[in-house]
Amino acid sequence: MKKTEPISRKGGFGISLMPYSAWSLLFVIVPLIFVAYYAFTDDNFRFTTENITRFFTATSAVEGDNGTVSEVKTYVVIFMRSLKLAAISTVICLVMGYPLAYIMSRAKPRAQKMLVTLIMIPMWMNFLIRTYAWMTILQDTGIFNSILSCVGLGPARIIGTETAVVIGMVYDYFPYMVLPIYSIMTKMDVKLFEAARDLGCNSFGVLKRVIFPLSLPGVLSGINMVLIPSVSTFYISQKLGNGKFFLIGDAIEGQYIANNLHFAAAIAFILMVILLVFMGLIKYFAAKFVYGGE
Amino acid sequence: MGVSDTKLSSKIYTALVFAFLFAPIVILLVFSFNESKSLSVFSGFSLKWYKELFNDRITLEALKNSIVLAISATAISTVMGTAAAIGINRLRNKWHKAAMNTVTNIPMVNPDIITGISMMLVFVFVGRLFGAATSLNFGTLLIAHVTFCTPYVILQVLPKLRQMDSALIEAAQDLGCTATRAFFKVTLPTILPGVITGAIMAFTLSLDDFVISYFTSGPDMQTLPIHIYSMTKKTVTPKMYALATIIFFVTLALLVLNNLTDSDDDNNIRKNGKNVNKTSSLKSRQLKKRVFALFVVVVILVSMCLTCTIGEKELVLNVYNWGEYISDGSEDTYDTIKEFEIWYEKTYGKKVRVNYTTFSSNEDMYSKISSGAVSYDVIIPSDYMIARMANEGMLLPLNYDNIPNYQYIDEDFKHLYYDPQGQYTVPYAYGVIGIIYNANVVDPADAKDWDLMWNEKYANNILQFNNSRDAYGVAMYKLGLDVNSTDKATWDEAHQELLIQRPLVKSYVMDEIYNMMESGEAAIGAYYAGDYFTMVDAQAEDVDLQFYYPERTNYYVDAMCIPSCCENKELAEIFINFMLSEDAAVANAEYTYYASPNRIVYENETYIENMGEEVMDILYRHSGNFAENYEKNAYRSLSPEMLDYINSKWETLKIN
Amino acid sequence: MHNYHLIEFKNVSKTFDTTEALSNINLYVDENEFLTLLGPSGCGKSTLLRIIAGFELPTEGQLLFEGQDLTVIPPYKRKVNTVFQKYALFPHLNVYDNIAFGMRIQKKTEKEIEYEVGRVLELVNLKGFDKRSVDSLSGGQQQRIAIARAIVNKPHVLLLDEPLAALDLKLRKDMQIELKNMQRELGVTFIYVTHDQEEALSMSDTIVVMNEGKIQQIGAPCDIYNEPKNAFVADFIGESNIIDGVMLENYKARFSGHTFQCLDKGFAEGEPVDVVVRPEDVDIVPVNNGMLSGNVTQVTFMGVHNEIIVDIGGFKWMIQTTDSVNVGERIGISLDPDAIHIMKKSEYSGMFGDYSSYSNELDELSDPGREE
Repeated sequence: MKKTEPISRKGGFGISLMPYSAWSLLFVIVPLIFVAYYAFTDDNFRFTTENITRFFTATSAVEGDNGTVSEVKTYVVIFMRSLKLAAISTVICLVMGYPLAYIMSRAKPRAQKMLVTLIMIPMWMNFLIRTYAWMTILQDTGIFNSILSCVGLGPARIIGTETAVVIGMVYDYFPYMVLPIYSIMTKMDVKLFEAARDLGCNSFGVLKRVIFPLSLPGVLSGINMVLIPSVSTFYISQKLGNGKFFLIGDAIEGQYIANNLHFAAAIAFILMVILLVFMGLIKYFAAKFVYGGE
Repeated sequence: MGVSDTKLSSKIYTALVFAFLFAPIVILLVFSFNESKSLSVFSGFSLKWYKELFNDRITLEALKNSIVLAISATAISTVMGTAAAIGINRLRNKWHKAAMNTVTNIPMVNPDIITGISMMLVFVFVGRLFGAATSLNFGTLLIAHVTFCTPYVILQVLPKLRQMDSALIEAAQDLGCTATRAFFKVTLPTILPGVITGAIMAFTLSLDDFVISYFTSGPDMQTLPIHIYSMTKKTVTPKMYALATIIFFVTLALLVLNNLTDSDDDNNIRKNGKNVNKTSSLKSRQLKKRVFALFVVVVILVSMCLTCTIGEKELVLNVYNWGEYISDGSEDTYDTIKEFEIWYEKTYGKKVRVNYTTFSSNEDMYSKISSGAVSYDVIIPSDYMIARMANEGMLLPLNYDNIPNYQYIDEDFKHLYYDPQGQYTVPYAYGVIGIIYNANVVDPADAKDWDLMWNEKYANNILQFNNSRDAYGVAMYKLGLDVNSTDKATWDEAHQELLIQRPLVKSYVMDEIYNMMESGEAAIGAYYAGDYFTMVDAQAEDVDLQFYYPERTNYYVDAMCIPSCCENKELAEIFINFMLSEDAAVANAEYTYYASPNRIVYENETYIENMGEEVMDILYRHSGNFAENYEKNAYRSLSPEMLDYINSKWETLKIN
Repeated sequence: MHNYHLIEFKNVSKTFDTTEALSNINLYVDENEFLTLLGPSGCGKSTLLRIIAGFELPTEGQLLFEGQDLTVIPPYKRKVNTVFQKYALFPHLNVYDNIAFGMRIQKKTEKEIEYEVGRVLELVNLKGFDKRSVDSLSGGQQQRIAIARAIVNKPHVLLLDEPLAALDLKLRKDMQIELKNMQRELGVTFIYVTHDQEEALSMSDTIVVMNEGKIQQIGAPCDIYNEPKNAFVADFIGESNIIDGVMLENYKARFSGHTFQCLDKGFAEGEPVDVVVRPEDVDIVPVNNGMLSGNVTQVTFMGVHNEIIVDIGGFKWMIQTTDSVNVGERIGISLDPDAIHIMKKSEYSGMFGDYSSYSNELDELSDPGREE
């Protein structure tokens, strides 16, 4: 502690940060060490890399479209599929949520409050029930298809497809994309938009050159908050995918249920490492793009 | 022109997005008033699900638990998070800052499932270290929730602190405030909006969390999401829709109220400029205070309820059962748990509290108990799981002297393979898997044996089990293979059969089968005999469900047993005995629609009358030679290696 | 020469909700002019500027640019650029990219941009700052970057919205001179908004004094100062003693119980008027030689001169003098004819120019009941 710090600060700092530091150490850091420990041990807690190797080497035969059977890496395929669906959902959330966040941030204060409230309300209703309601809407004899047939369009097969899973993910995690972007947009100085228009930007130019770069931190945390849970979800795929899509979350849960704690921990560990690297890369490139390498 | 155009289009856009957001909620709302149990066919307006909901003690208890948990987690994480934010804001050392930021980010960057599993591993480890019977309880659940809520509070408070002019605190201290006083008089009011937003976020996240709770909750506390998840053996009833509807309106009312009081303040400031209209702002401030006070009172009441139940020295019995597998007082039925508590107090003069929690599969239950995470006094698993647990020494032999009603169990159901000595179990229900089909879609001529489920004519109309044991079982019964084979080749053969079936399958289901069959979404599915009648009750007008037993199929028994972690064996045995007594046993058999091995039940005239001839015929068709069929066709416990093999085969099937 | 002005306002009004920000403005600006909009806060000067920039649309009336109607042209198509009050520099871009912003939109080549950015950075004396982040600059430096960012686009008109308000006194003085030089060098029309009358007087070719959404007076700085049109202008620009008087005939006015020679004419005989006497135009003389006499009630040392308040027949005058007098002393004053300026009575008559409340000014400011 430095001598120059006023007394009040010195005391306050230690006391106020202490509980959280201790808490984080015990319930954030230690559990992660446990995951790593379980991932690298067998049932008798002897060191092994078998669980990790299994993730990358387990294969299964997959029948191609033309009937040819090929060997694929089971978990790698599952992981890639999870990542693909999660990435699609994240992009859709972003594309859908960004304009909404912008509109909200430009609305009158009272309307803003109402819109934020409306966005948050679905989050208060249990997400399992919300997902269940989507089953009712999307199934072949469901409400969506009834509407389609009223309009004279043929029935659309949605439930049990990747589309349904994506819809479920987008729906459940949409607020997590909108809210961070919205909150950063409300803090932007309107004068900056005027300055851009003054310097020759049309509305799109203002969006591209000023609003978007300035909102990037919000976009990043939105991506984070949508991508992560949708990669690892295991309920949405079961319900809306008609149980046909096995995602990495299902794999972890499946291993946990099958009492293979160590392999479950190994999958979790690998997932964690990959996601950390992935998010780190996104942040790095975004920072590079925005601030020109500074 | 241009401006109003963009305004209009942005309004339309907003409306569309909100239509998407609220579509499922409208569905929930509408179907909560549905007369029938179906979640896809609206047959008439009724308030019965609301009545049901208020009679459903387990759900209400789960709701209460969820709210208590969310409030406690919010309170702790808000205080701790705010304090932490202040601490972090004062950090000057670059490395300390970076470290705190990283730690704060971890629970947000980490998938829920990893947070959940990692914390469970720690809790179980610590629990074992101290030799506790159960490592997971309300405390662990609370710790988990506080852990993932706190970063959100910090994230909301920190920016407010950064924006705050540090001269404000100096000014306060200059004017005579102590450091603490300056905090409460100046800092806290300045950052309060951030603190409140953080608290609301924490509450929302805690209330909605399923995944982390799933891994860290114990027997004493089942939250609403877990309760709903474990309904997957039976079905999610419209009760839940009614509950969601109520939550929706309560939330809406609270938020609207909050908005109204807020905007009053805003308006006053805007309108009156320097001359704040004192009376009206006072009024709205008073209103706000009153709302706040009301909130505090509710919190105190709820926590008092909680401490009351905990504080009272009473006997506790932890029961772990399938979801929707006990008569719970809904639809004016018998409330088994409540009746037991009343009966016990009357008989023994002591209060007992039953913690009734539910699991979604045998494997789910097994991994919870075997990990040492939880302890239960009575569990009701299926036969093959009982065999495995008995084999691994996880069950306690029963003292049948305490279970005199055991005499009413049909001899046919005693000494089955899973308990040859008849020392661990008391059968609760049994059944046979059959095939349900929609006669309006399926040609009755095709309704033969398992072949119907491989019939290409009905592609995309077939439902298959969404668990490996049953799915492989179906294929093996069809092929005439041994469902308990220890030869991997046999399983590979079944796997091939499932691969052939896969393109025809509409969906791999558990509880979803109810909706899909009732609404005509699918036409063929295999499920437990009794459940067929639940479906028939709710079938849509253009659906005509029929049922038959294939030649070879699964026979199963679910039985009550006492796991070795039991802390009050005698009480558990009394409970088991109570479950066999006439009122309880009949009520449960009527509620679950499964066949009962209990003579008091199947010879009970009211029961027979209530069930009706058709039901009795289907449910009890095998009662004469059950033991024989059972020995031939029941699932048995498989070795861990075998299970692991099947599990990876199953994963393979799913990635095709 | 053209037969039109560079910018012309025709009967422009602007209302926000129910309050009128501008009412019936008629004004023109010519090429290469340094025009200042001067007035207290809330007088509508910023709104006028924002209408030129295109951020606000007039509720009524027309805005012509080189004779063309500009009213509905969006900001990005206008040949004007703005220097914002708090600079509005883009925090996500460095100095170079901030300045290059406008040119990039015009799709200039990078080579051209580099040359131009270098040129304007030199012009604003910030050579070598290109890679710095804008947050790391001081207020004065940010100010220069904001100007550089605007002028690099070679606008026909540069709008400056109180650009020096956030700078300290010394820096402000330097920048005033620099801005004036820059305007001459660039040959660009400057429209400058300020509430600082000294700034307006020292820089402008033309000053437009505004109050309550109306133009009070348009003119060259010395005209505005010497011949204010009404009590508001007289009071707002410099210090003024404004006394009720009566015009006896041309060149003869009577006030404070004495008849004075003056240079004004064209009033009706016996017309009540406002008489303006600037504090520095009052000569202190011995009591016997004075046209008027009174007691000194207050003396303030101001450096170059003393500011004294004299009670003359119950009306308190402010006088700036290099003589030294003492409180309580009785003095005489004398006014030359050119020290006296006669104004017609206006809505502002009687509201300004009496220093009897001078010492109470602070109390008055802090009175919460007083609306603007």
